[in-house]
Amino acid sequence: MPRKPETLLDCAPITEKPGIDRAMRVAIQQARRGKKAIGFSNQQAFDAAVAKLVHAIPVDAQVAEWFVNENLIPVVRRRWKKILLNPAVLAIALALAVIGGVFAYRIHEHLRDFPGAEKARHLLAVATSTRSVLLDPLKTDAGTLSDLFFLKHRLEHYDVPAEFADFKVLGTRVFDDEEVLRVAQIWAVEKRMQFFLFPAEKNPKDGSVTDFSDWRFVELEGWTGAVTQRNGVCFMAAIRGRENDLQPYLEKKKQ
Amino acid sequence: MLLADEAGKFRASEKLNVSVTTKNLPQLYRFCFLMTGDATKAQEAFQNTVREAALRSARDEPPPDRLWFFRDARWRCLAVTEEGLQAEPGMMEEADISPVAPMQIAQLDPDQLGVWISAASEPQRSALALYYLDEFSLGEMLSLLEMKAPEFAILIGSGRRQFQSWLDATMPYDGEPFDAQET
Repeated sequence: MPRKPETLLDCAPITEKPGIDRAMRVAIQQARRGKKAIGFSNQQAFDAAVAKLVHAIPVDAQVAEWFVNENLIPVVRRRWKKILLNPAVLAIALALAVIGGVFAYRIHEHLRDFPGAEKARHLLAVATSTRSVLLDPLKTDAGTLSDLFFLKHRLEHYDVPAEFADFKVLGTRVFDDEEVLRVAQIWAVEKRMQFFLFPAEKNPKDGSVTDFSDWRFVELEGWTGAVTQRNGVCFMAAIRGRENDLQPYLEKKKQ
Repeated sequence: MLLADEAGKFRASEKLNVSVTTKNLPQLYRFCFLMTGDATKAQEAFQNTVREAALRSARDEPPPDRLWFFRDARWRCLAVTEEGLQAEPGMMEEADISPVAPMQIAQLDPDQLGVWISAASEPQRSALALYYLDEFSLGEMLSLLEMKAPEFAILIGSGRRQFQSWLDATMPYDGEPFDAQET
């Protein structure tokens, strides 16, 4: 509700205090400059004199004794528990935890990364959406497909590693992918596993390819791929499950 | 004796911390004095308020802010003075504020001012006491008195003119007028 300047002037602060609102300050400034300057000046002198007299009210010694007890209102110390239970703090903490979790996951994921890991993940996505009917039916052992890939598609070194060479195959296909280029996909009978053979990632600086004979793993949306790289070609065995589900196949051959 | 004991307990309480300090407590006493116009009654209201604050603190329900002290003390002052004669509103004459008012006021002693303010009717008495303590912002005073600014302004404005009228009657001043520019 707007207040008239006259109203404000009647209760104008006796001494300048912080936090005087704008309307009051404007009213005081106008009163000091306007026609009512003398009257307002008299009022201020009057108020100051009364306030001075109030301040001179003697405080009895017995009452003064009570002034020793300075501590009447506790400083509001926000206890940790109270702070932590604040919904805003909880929301921020939760958001930070989620961001931290995602960040940690990404770091963990990339710590295990290897050349070609991105391509492997991309092909895991292909595996999740592939239906067996998309592949050309073929009943043979996976290890025999190298000749087929070489003779029919001119894909050199597209060899299924010994660990999976004995697996029975249901179908196969070769397709061009924008990211991965020429990809050979094999559908195995064993646990509906899928194998992928694709060109290895080249070093962007010198174009060289560094093979690795051990198995490295990628994960995507519940699928896991075990990747190895030989002769500039990557082989990935993909399975719906975790790394543990693939390990027995990889260790079997070692023995 | 009882007061002394409780004061001792109060001092010993470590749960209490700073906020209403030695600066505010004298102001609280002065407020009580302006409200009652009597040092004994003022002391009684003051001590009861501080005691209540101590008890609340002991119960882990300390006063939330300094306004609580003045609000509590106000009602205690009204209670201790309600047995005496009560002023009625609109019975006093008014006069324009004089340029010599500061000199007239300078001749008063605090007791006279206390008696004059405590003789005002409620809520003007509380309004004048709080206003001339020069302790609170307008918003705080309105909160303490539970009233709107226009009503508060009327109480202060009329109180000021009534006091001037009383000054003119009791403390005539024949010297040079006060030069407000010097303040």
